Amino acid sequence: MAVDYMSLLKLDERELAQRRAFFEITDEDLARVAKLRDFAARHGDAIVDDLYQLILGHADSRAFFADETMVRRVKSMQKQYFLGLFAGNCDLRYVQDRLRVGASHERIGLEPKWYLGAYGRYLRLLLDRLFTDFPAAEAQAAFRSLSKLVAFDTALAMDTYIAANLDTVARHQAAIRELSTPVIRVYDRVLLLPLVGTVDTHRAQQIMETLLLRTVEDQAKAIIVDIAGVPVVDTKVADHLLKTTAAVRMLGAVTIITGISAQVARTMVQLGVDLSSIETRARLADGIELALAKVGRVIAVKA
Amino acid sequence: MTASVTAGGKPRSAIPVLRVGDTLLVTVQIELHDAVADAFQEDLLVTIEKTGARGLIIDITGLDMVDSYVARVLADTGRMARLMGTDTVLVGMRPEVAATLVRMGYGMEGVRTALNVDEGLGLLHTLQG
Repeated sequence: MAVDYMSLLKLDERELAQRRAFFEITDEDLARVAKLRDFAARHGDAIVDDLYQLILGHADSRAFFADETMVRRVKSMQKQYFLGLFAGNCDLRYVQDRLRVGASHERIGLEPKWYLGAYGRYLRLLLDRLFTDFPAAEAQAAFRSLSKLVAFDTALAMDTYIAANLDTVARHQAAIRELSTPVIRVYDRVLLLPLVGTVDTHRAQQIMETLLLRTVEDQAKAIIVDIAGVPVVDTKVADHLLKTTAAVRMLGAVTIITGISAQVARTMVQLGVDLSSIETRARLADGIELALAKVGRVIAVKA
Repeated sequence: MTASVTAGGKPRSAIPVLRVGDTLLVTVQIELHDAVADAFQEDLLVTIEKTGARGLIIDITGLDMVDSYVARVLADTGRMARLMGTDTVLVGMRPEVAATLVRMGYGMEGVRTALNVDEGLGLLHTLQG
């Protein structure tokens, strides 16, 4: 699935203008690099070849390129990228193009160090050739303008790396959230939520919301919350459980808390927590039996 | 099944109270502002007095928001109806409403609840034997 980095990085006209101002890219700079187009066309192939000597000369960076065909392909892409620098445009389309480069690096797992190292070589190659081809003053001005664009490009590439990672983290967090409240339908109109791990305020709220939504969705009559997997059940956790139970009751369903160990029972009473308004059971099996009774079913021994 | 609007014409709260046998059924579909809530309570109690209904079902499926005042009016109505010999069941509360009420520390204790009108009728049936 392609990530839309433009929107992820909130890259609109305003953001672009702000970036251009901060990187001090003026229209004059763009005009100046545009005038270097012949220069770029003249040296493009040699510079790209030189760059790949560096990249292919190191085993770790070479590992990203499977075979000669791939090397040829990325070289031609690199040439396009290089010529793009001299297009004399710095608009949203240019940004989109640059983001694509960053994204493809990120996708193949090419770390920033290779990217930045190679870019350093790029700059040195440009510098040398500029000073060979042009008078010193002109070469210096051209290099100044180019270095601004290069910094601009580099920032976009780094942003892509970071945005891609943040996006991954966000997706993992969503997955964890979903996994932390697995509501299972054990029988028609009977739901089970096995809680595993610490229950903090944030999670408790999410548990309540999920449970309430599912109760209405499934028109469930009995909801079993098994807390055998919760390591510490203190007053706070008990309070969350009481609140959830009260909310579920308002919808017209009952909550049954199971997995109450001897330890938890002792703690609750010693802490003075009143759980008498909730149906509680030690074992999940008993909870299921009770829940089935609520929907008019019994577990019977087969004759 | 027969249904008739409150004896005496248009209810003050503009929320129709339907009579189905021994049971009154109200479906709240408009937001209960304070004044409407009061008129609503009044309508219900007067109808109970007139009809001698044994059960009352208040369906709030249509309510996206219930503040503490409305929650209290609903709970109080149930208690008042009980004094008049009518059992009340509140049905169809939305998940987000329940979550908000609980967060405000309002648990609607002592109010009977059911998931939907059908369940509510079943509950009344059990209560009245």
